Amino acid sequence: MSNASVYPEPNNTFKNSKRNVLSIIVDNEPGILARIVGLFSGRGYNIEALNVTVVDVEENLSRITLETIGEQKVIGQIIAHLEKLVPVHSAINLADLNESYEAEISLIKVTYFDEGQNTKAHDLADIYRARTVTKKDGIVIYEISGTSERVNKFLDDLNGINGIKVEIVRSGPIGLGV
Amino acid sequence: MINNDELNGAQIVLEALKEQEVDTIFGYPGGAVLPIYDAIFGQNFLKHILVRQEAGAVHAAEGYARSSGQVGVLLVTSGPGATNVVTGLTDALMDSIPLVCITGQVPTHLIGTDAFQECDTTGITRPCTKYNYLVKDVSKLSEVIHEAFEIARSGRPGPVLIDIPKNVQLAKSIYKPRKDISFKPHRIKSGSINIDKNFIENLISHIKKSTKPVLYVGGGCLNSGPKASEELRKLAELTNIPVTTTLHGLGCYPGNGKLSIGMLGMHGTYEANLVMHDCDLMINVGARFDDRITGRLDAFSPKSVKFHFDIDKSSINKNVNVDFSTNTDLTHALSAINNYISSNNINFDHSQFSNWWNKIKEWQSTDCLKYDQGEEIIKPQHAISRLNELTKNKDTIITTEVGQHQMWAAQYYQFNKPNSWITSGGLGTMGFGMPAAIGAQMANPDALVIDIAGEASFLMNIQEIATAVQYKLPIKIFILNNEYMGMVRQWQELMHGSRYSESYVDALPDFVKLAESFHAVGLRAKKVSDLDETINEMLSINRPVIADIWVDKKENVFPMIPSGAAHNEMLLSKYDEEKPENQEKGKVLV
Repeated sequence: MSNASVYPEPNNTFKNSKRNVLSIIVDNEPGILARIVGLFSGRGYNIEALNVTVVDVEENLSRITLETIGEQKVIGQIIAHLEKLVPVHSAINLADLNESYEAEISLIKVTYFDEGQNTKAHDLADIYRARTVTKKDGIVIYEISGTSERVNKFLDDLNGINGIKVEIVRSGPIGLGV
Repeated sequence: MINNDELNGAQIVLEALKEQEVDTIFGYPGGAVLPIYDAIFGQNFLKHILVRQEAGAVHAAEGYARSSGQVGVLLVTSGPGATNVVTGLTDALMDSIPLVCITGQVPTHLIGTDAFQECDTTGITRPCTKYNYLVKDVSKLSEVIHEAFEIARSGRPGPVLIDIPKNVQLAKSIYKPRKDISFKPHRIKSGSINIDKNFIENLISHIKKSTKPVLYVGGGCLNSGPKASEELRKLAELTNIPVTTTLHGLGCYPGNGKLSIGMLGMHGTYEANLVMHDCDLMINVGARFDDRITGRLDAFSPKSVKFHFDIDKSSINKNVNVDFSTNTDLTHALSAINNYISSNNINFDHSQFSNWWNKIKEWQSTDCLKYDQGEEIIKPQHAISRLNELTKNKDTIITTEVGQHQMWAAQYYQFNKPNSWITSGGLGTMGFGMPAAIGAQMANPDALVIDIAGEASFLMNIQEIATAVQYKLPIKIFILNNEYMGMVRQWQELMHGSRYSESYVDALPDFVKLAESFHAVGLRAKKVSDLDETINEMLSINRPVIADIWVDKKENVFPMIPSGAAHNEMLLSKYDEEKPENQEKGKVLV
């Protein structure tokens, strides 16, 4: 396995993909997340992944990145409904942009029971350039970032190691247009 | 340090309402709003109308808003006060009615403790308001109230709720006048007032090419203000295009206007629905392709090029895909089109649509609204026709409840101007009409306000008759009494083998005695020969009147497009049979 196959140059990940990752700028106010989530559940849309954090303290803005599924027409409706919400500044589908980039961060806890397992996990982490966050008493926590696809592949490979236990937390995809 | 310019939260509420020129508020007091009620006590610019249940307050505010074009305002307490207005807020959201609803809340330090009369008001009302606030800081209160009014009336109007904890009503701050507040455009979301020239040119060239056009007009035309209706009328008359309106669009183009082909949709006219089905150009002016209008979607107007005017972007391509759309406010959009036509000296040849009009006249000759009025029993259609005839020279506002009587009112009463017809269309809220009539009468003290009701709907908010009596509001409640939930019975007859499960309203009150017990006037007509006299007597009394009109118990509303059927599969009378395959598909629909 060459490095190139698991750690490719950043590419234009959303354009022409079937994934719809929406990037929504909102006023950071109480209830805003409930408004967004309520819109999805109330109108029967799905949320596959969700990420919310303040991005501008001075202007009090948060960016919500949300992955959903649906036909083009449905996504158009979702965006129109999002834009109607009072605290929403803008809502875009990253797939509609000519150029946009994706990343996701994940922490992965590996519990191993013999040194062989540890070596295999460590080799994989090396290939995928996952960082060791901490290591003690048969437990290693790795941090990996990159496209969701890359995180998925790392997890698949880790799960191929017999006998270890893997516990995961993922941020979900985030993205930015150029 | 004492600052004499400081007001408490309750006084700030009143100050803001005064600046917003609110003269009427509908409400019901309770523990968590007592400070605001205390502020109401010592002032004289604001008339408070004490309803008998909070649902009455919200529908009255809707009636006030619809008949005046102003924002309707209501005030209720926490907990049950707030939950009782949920239906009305949902109704206002569906029908785009601007409201500001102020609710009391338990003090901030008790929020989350399951305190007495506590509920998560903003949580409960989030999906049924355009926006809502929980104000925890009195210094933000003036700004919140003024922004709430802006949001309620801008873009596609709707209800906005402000939840104010009791301690915030008592805390002190400086009042911030509206002129000192800079509203953020992304929050107000006003409709655009500029329209793309290409859209206008496309529309005009399509009208020129068309042989079978239609203007399909909805409640958006009403919400844009009376000028939108004037501009619509001008455009229709310049081009000679037939006009059909939705339930809420009634009156935006005069019902007696020469281009009017009546209401369309489930209980629309034969001609309007066939025009929609056969047209080659559909110009949707402020309507939202509601399922009552479209019937079966895959058979909806299959051959037309569609233009859609809607201030709400999410209405475009929601149910029906359209070819051209604009989100410009209708008044501005329509006047820009009319100006373009006149400044470019564009003439429309009225003979262009003569074949189309001949076809329409042929359909009109079916006389789809005909009915047989016998000698004795009053037909509900006849009752409305006579009411229309006997009130046509008066300044009349009609409100309705929901059901068969509502459809007959829409079919047999003629609406010639906007804002004279107030009904619950989207949500279909029984019990809407009487409180809405109270609100309409408050906004229009000199108008004749009539609630065309069914006996079942009327019973849902009957307590409000006491409100009408208290404030000497001479509203008329015209009950088409058939002892059934008529529309439920009609669907059971058509779709459930006439098994009238729980749709008969047994043990009805004597409405005449009931009126008298409320200190209103009760009248009754049992047969055709009593009808005119009863209506005239009702009109002559300057007090609230309940007129109990006994009508044919088995009459159904026709024409009818059954759920799951297409426009050209209309049933014209009880002798028409529905296609069995449609009946099966329609059963799951509403």
